[in-house]
Amino acid sequence: MGAYLVRRLVQSFVVFLIVMFVTFILPYFETGGILAPAYVVLQNHASPSAVHAFAAQNGLLKPFYVRFWDYLSQLLFHGNWGYSWKNQQTVWSIMVTYIPRTMWLAIISLVITVLIALPLGTYQASRRNSIFDYSATSTLFVLYGVPAFLLCLLILTWFSIGTLHLPTPPTGGSSLQIFTDPKAFILPVGALTLLNLAFLSRFMRSAVLDVLVQDYVRTAKAKGCNQRRVLSHHAFRNALGPIVIILGLFLPGLFGGALIVEEVFNYPGIGYQTVNAAQYLDIPTVLGITLLTTVFTLIGNLLADIGLGVINPRVRVEGRS
Amino acid sequence: MTIGESATHGEYGTEGGTHAPAPLADDNATFAAFVPLWRQRLRIFLQNKMAIISVVYIIVIFLISFLGPVVWHTNQTNQAAALFNVENAPPSWHYLLGTDASGYNELGRIMFGGEYSLTLGVLSGFVTIVIGTLYGMVSGFMGGVVDTVLMRILDSFLSIPILFLLLTLVTVFQRTTVSLILIIGFIGWFGNARIIRGDALLIKELEYSQAARAMGGGRWHIIRRHVFPNSVSNIVTVSTFAVADSILFLTTLGYLGLGIPLPATDWGTMLNNASQYLANGFWWQIYPLAVIFILLIVAITYVGEALRDAFEVRLLER
Repeated sequence: MGAYLVRRLVQSFVVFLIVMFVTFILPYFETGGILAPAYVVLQNHASPSAVHAFAAQNGLLKPFYVRFWDYLSQLLFHGNWGYSWKNQQTVWSIMVTYIPRTMWLAIISLVITVLIALPLGTYQASRRNSIFDYSATSTLFVLYGVPAFLLCLLILTWFSIGTLHLPTPPTGGSSLQIFTDPKAFILPVGALTLLNLAFLSRFMRSAVLDVLVQDYVRTAKAKGCNQRRVLSHHAFRNALGPIVIILGLFLPGLFGGALIVEEVFNYPGIGYQTVNAAQYLDIPTVLGITLLTTVFTLIGNLLADIGLGVINPRVRVEGRS
Repeated sequence: MTIGESATHGEYGTEGGTHAPAPLADDNATFAAFVPLWRQRLRIFLQNKMAIISVVYIIVIFLISFLGPVVWHTNQTNQAAALFNVENAPPSWHYLLGTDASGYNELGRIMFGGEYSLTLGVLSGFVTIVIGTLYGMVSGFMGGVVDTVLMRILDSFLSIPILFLLLTLVTVFQRTTVSLILIIGFIGWFGNARIIRGDALLIKELEYSQAARAMGGGRWHIIRRHVFPNSVSNIVTVSTFAVADSILFLTTLGYLGLGIPLPATDWGTMLNNASQYLANGFWWQIYPLAVIFILLIVAITYVGEALRDAFEVRLLER
């Protein structure tokens, strides 16, 4: 297990370096090259000398590999994520302010999604090709087909402006408002849940369907287990394996989905900040947020693999050998 | 395993039923194996009523978008001329679906935007499939160091939130029709490459690939004649979903104001413009298009699921 963990950590670090390389190299393709951000930050009328001074101050004139190493060593040895050109504060302080806001939104919505999707998918699989299965499938396909922003906008129009008059989340304040003022978060959390529901419950349905044709399920039925026990003890537990892996891979998607929700409900979170930073060519901010999200995802994948061992002992044995 | 079986069926199918022992030929279950493979698949596909309705719907939408403007010409590019129309006019005999905020005829604009959305969706889906298939095939077939390196690169792309990557790429590169096709195509291939790689890994170890190798078949020969044909089922299924995803990505870009630049338009940009008037009750600008759009994605998804069923070997043997 120890050797396996070390190998996984090394692999994760390599992935981290590749992500950093990709994010690092992208600004070079900008029309105007690596100096393009200087023109955006200093406005369009900046004199060439001011642009040059800005570039020199931020190390933009150094060769690529020097910049890459500078950034990496600052990050690894000093925990320095850089300084945002747009917000005039450290990238770390932006992340500390906005990531918890998105994180609570995403986590609560993920928990609700899982609580709905797993039973729904299992039930659909057990009543395959029934009226219920067909209507649930059609509904979920519609949810999959709605563009995220349209769903959010319609929810906002119907339930906030139209009927019910539910409040929308406040734009500022603490990240823990979601617990103190839950009513304001019904709409964004609901929207994010609906957005992820289709994918996850479809996945659960096919996972359970795969399990239901296995020999051990037939054996359980032959022994006289009733349908409910077969589902809860044999099918559900074995279908959880793929679901756990998918949840690990799901993390970046969760941040992406939250981005649209934040944009529509005007709830400044980390996705909102990234969009603004990207359009402003605020390279340090985009770089920092992307890298931190990558770290989250890598940890998520690692936890998923370890969680898989908890659910399914066979995997644990293979991992050890 | 399942894919290997499908290949065996294919070979039986071409030989026909002449060599089958007489008693078995009466048995329906066995007889199914002697019907040509593509015909069995077509039959399973046609049994799915939703899939047929979906195919018809998709064809109708394509025809309306591409032939509609040829038959029924409306001004969709001249902003100055459009201003002579009534803006935000509700549906009437003169404007079947009303007009939008700039005075463009909404029905004509749905067709006009559809041309771009559908073209971009299909072409980006195609880019996605080409990259994903090549990448997955090479990675799965080569194995060893090449596989490890390619998969770690894939992991890195998968761990960046896809919308962040999309937004960064769109802001960095100049937005044109071609660059949007390439960018959206580039965004979508990661998951597909992983699926195709799984296929390639499996197939290259199956008996017929080993036999081909033993007889001196080179790598490209095995990829071309064995690995690729036997993973076609997954490639076809995955490409339908790729088209749906590409259209959705383009729509999201349109919402963020990063869709196709004027004077062209796409459905995402149209929905975005219309959504600003959602509270004013200009329903004709958003609901008809929204329904057409959502049903299109649903239809593509149904076709994808039906294709997956049609290629499913377990279902062939009934």
